[in-house]
Amino acid sequence: MKTAGLLLAVLVAVGVARAQDALDCHFAPGWEASGPIRQYVADNLYEYKDGAADGYLINGFAQMRTIECKSGGDTLTIDVSEMTDADAAYGLLTANRDPRLPIAKIGMGGQVQAQSALFAKGKYYVEIAEVAANAEADHAATIQAFVAKIQNRLEGRESAPEALEWFPKENLASVRLVPESVLGLRLLKRGYVAKYMQGQAFVVLEATPESAAEVLKKLKERFDGATPAQIGDEAFQAKAPYLEGICVFRKGRYVAGYANLPETQQAATLAAKLATRIP
Amino acid sequence: MGSSTSRREFLSTGLSAGLALPVLGAGSRMGLGLPPGEPEAKAGSPVKLEYRTLGRTGLKVTTVGMGCMITSDPSVIERAADMGINYFDTARGYSQGNNERMVAAALGARRKQVVISTKSHAPNKVELQKHLETSLRELNTDYIDIWFLHGRNSPAEIPDDQIEVQQLAKKQGKVRFTGVSTHNGQQQILPWMVQKGTFDVVLTSYNFTMDAGMDEAIATAAKAGMGVVAMKVMAGGLRRQKQGDPLYKKLTQDGALLAALKWVIHKPNIATTIPSMTDMDQLDENLKAMGNPFSAGDEKLLSAHLDAIRPLYCRMCGKCDGDCLKGLPVADVLRFLTYADGYGQFALGRERFMELSAEHTAVRCGDCAECTVKCPYGVEVQSRMARAQELFA
Repeated sequence: MKTAGLLLAVLVAVGVARAQDALDCHFAPGWEASGPIRQYVADNLYEYKDGAADGYLINGFAQMRTIECKSGGDTLTIDVSEMTDADAAYGLLTANRDPRLPIAKIGMGGQVQAQSALFAKGKYYVEIAEVAANAEADHAATIQAFVAKIQNRLEGRESAPEALEWFPKENLASVRLVPESVLGLRLLKRGYVAKYMQGQAFVVLEATPESAAEVLKKLKERFDGATPAQIGDEAFQAKAPYLEGICVFRKGRYVAGYANLPETQQAATLAAKLATRIP
Repeated sequence: MGSSTSRREFLSTGLSAGLALPVLGAGSRMGLGLPPGEPEAKAGSPVKLEYRTLGRTGLKVTTVGMGCMITSDPSVIERAADMGINYFDTARGYSQGNNERMVAAALGARRKQVVISTKSHAPNKVELQKHLETSLRELNTDYIDIWFLHGRNSPAEIPDDQIEVQQLAKKQGKVRFTGVSTHNGQQQILPWMVQKGTFDVVLTSYNFTMDAGMDEAIATAAKAGMGVVAMKVMAGGLRRQKQGDPLYKKLTQDGALLAALKWVIHKPNIATTIPSMTDMDQLDENLKAMGNPFSAGDEKLLSAHLDAIRPLYCRMCGKCDGDCLKGLPVADVLRFLTYADGYGQFALGRERFMELSAEHTAVRCGDCAECTVKCPYGVEVQSRMARAQELFA
């Protein structure tokens, strides 16, 4: 028992050390730390992130380490957030990523702009933000240098969650992990949502096929006039306020489907295609 | 016409005072005396809408507004507007701007019928001006109803040049009203805002766990004509709490979160609230807070909650500052203990503890025959401090 405890303590210490190693102002020439590394947990994240803290908490926040660097009149902050797992880090990344900008091959997919960057790798979510003396200055190259060094020092998955591959790519606008209430429905607790030029697709993973069946049953009861559909293990389609044409199916322990399409039949056709891609 | 006018006047007075009215159909708009363009819930909806005037802005807002920060699907915002909620809050910093875009997409068609507030956390004047232009663009609007300086917790964090930017934006018609959002230090910052006289609205943390000093600060602001919007009305809800915490257990009780919202709404100095909502069920639940008085049952739920957390939970009210004969910063040490006990972050707790002076880290509270620190809320200070010293020293 003591050995297990010791091992756990060592693992935690190693994790903390890795996050700490990733915070160094000397990653780009001319930058110096303007203070010590600060650490935040859920209880005191408000002190630092003010009103934005809930966005971290809802996605599965464990702790954050942050450092402020200075070079001349420019100030740069680096936040390395440790999330509960890699999916949680991906969730926070996709909540913050600008769907209009290209995605760079940094970790699980990040973005670097003139004065900011964000990416996720493993269970770490990283944000770099600069307050430059010249608000219009383009410091992307400097920020890219920080990103490269930080990325190398963090361990973990660099690929996006497997489920995202199931969404058809045609007319795809954005994908993200929604930490709770997919489509604004509490029954759909946590899942992936793909926005298309028209409509949106979703995949929610339940613990067991039985719990997935229960979710589908309760969902169907919410939609007046829902009619059965022949997709996956079981399915229904309906027309509903706010979600328009919707089709939801269950395949094993997955509850998935399409919503916000003009016609239910269109939702059903797309849902049938999605079902064939889910293992 | 005369009778119609007097009815409007009567109802208007009632609405300002927080009178709850059942929602009627579109044809009854004038009869209700609602301001032109004010949204209504669906005809036949069981929802009762309750309006209050947001201080000197004169805006009639529903006592339940909507905090959009963690909403992920715009349908929830759309439905909230359809149900009659007319106050929506977002910020430049939420999801790196994605949140403002979502709010715009959800409310675009009814822009003139709703009040939209957004905030900027910009650290300086130049960034603040940039944020304003970006917010206008992302919200797809010509004007912001209320523009807050975001998360300012002391007067020092509100420099004059940022107030000037707010005032200029107001003159230019880009912003209708200005304010400050604040999470801590309200008892200092609210009276300062009143004295400054340039702010129309304050957005402040406020919930049932707070002490009477907060009520006084809010009353001062309201009396001076500032509109008061409350956030963190559910004391952090369930997201800030760990499953084993007493607060978590209490807030998962049936009706506890609704009671917490009703507790805030029943305070007359609060014009509206902005609970976060992620789904339709939450929306339906929160709508019940309008028109349903804060009851003895609600009070019992909340006081039971406070009894449970009292021995452990430090509210950081600062009332014990200077009370320790050995000079210990009691609230800080209790917070360090929370890092370890509440969040499993022993290293962080110890790190902060060891930053105290050697004189302070050497103190052992168990050596005092009697503790001179008496927490007005019942925190068992001596035993909690002794535990912190045992863990960290």
